[in-house]
Amino acid sequence: MKEVQVAPGAASSTSGGRETTFQAVQGGQEHYSGEILLVTAYAALWALLLLWVALIWRKQGDVNTRLVDLERVIDKAAAEKQAASAQKGAGR
Amino acid sequence: MARVRTADGVFYALLALTAATFIGEIFFVFLRTPIEARMGIVQKIFYFHVPSAYAMYLGATACFLGSTAYLVRPTDARDAFARAGAETAVVFGAIVLTTGPLWGAKAWGTFWTWDPRLTTALLSLLIYVAYVVLRSFAGDGSAERAGSAALGVLGAANLPIIHFSVQKWGGQHPTVITGKGGGLQDPNMKLALAVGFLAFTLLAILLVWARTRVELARSRLRRAEEDAIDLGLDPRTEA
Repeated sequence: MKEVQVAPGAASSTSGGRETTFQAVQGGQEHYSGEILLVTAYAALWALLLLWVALIWRKQGDVNTRLVDLERVIDKAAAEKQAASAQKGAGR
Repeated sequence: MARVRTADGVFYALLALTAATFIGEIFFVFLRTPIEARMGIVQKIFYFHVPSAYAMYLGATACFLGSTAYLVRPTDARDAFARAGAETAVVFGAIVLTTGPLWGAKAWGTFWTWDPRLTTALLSLLIYVAYVVLRSFAGDGSAERAGSAALGVLGAANLPIIHFSVQKWGGQHPTVITGKGGGLQDPNMKLALAVGFLAFTLLAILLVWARTRVELARSRLRRAEEDAIDLGLDPRTEA
């Protein structure tokens, strides 16, 4: 993502792939690729929006589950009430 | 019933319009607007960074209006609207504070500085994050709702500070929109920004609406569950 201008002679400061010295970069600046930054920003935008939509979807799913539970309990109570009244009617 | 159908129709029409506007925005930003002379292609972040900030203001305003209305006369709908607004402000605030630093990395050479606008925008985001966290973990009683509403009202006080921070305290943040920086030089740049504002306004309205509906349904369901428990039916234990 970023390219750093390396001071001349910096390569000679490595030994077997390990840094052996730290040297100040002469006039060095960090450069970032505009294309990568733009794509990252655009991807972050949609990722955050889609994450939030997914959370709303999950909350809606939770509401549906609780609603199904409530309906089942009400149906069960209604069936019990109906059975009780039918039993009462048969007993008369 | 007819009213619900009409509301659904308007919602889906708004959804289609939002999608079409976003397609238009992508077309303008990536195919029509020229590359900016000094910053290069990274300047195109601007066309969705600024409208996101505007959408954050819309969410925060919805939170303020819902919270104020709730404090005047508490109802489920007003609380749901305030909560939806706060969440919208968090999402768009997160987008602003993600896309802005990515632009800053190229334009300023650093992802973050304690510039007045950046700092006040971060403060605002943290206020609305506090609101959302409070509502998520502190329960849903009337005291929690009232406390959150107070936070929603106080949080809005920071909005004008964000907007005028650049003029009052200076800093590095550009002032292209307010005209002090010379404005957008190319007509296609202006068009892309205008379409961006329209797209993000529609999206913010859509998301606040959808979130309010879900929150309102949860409140009604909770009341129905409480009524069921009062009648000796407990959906939680019999589930």
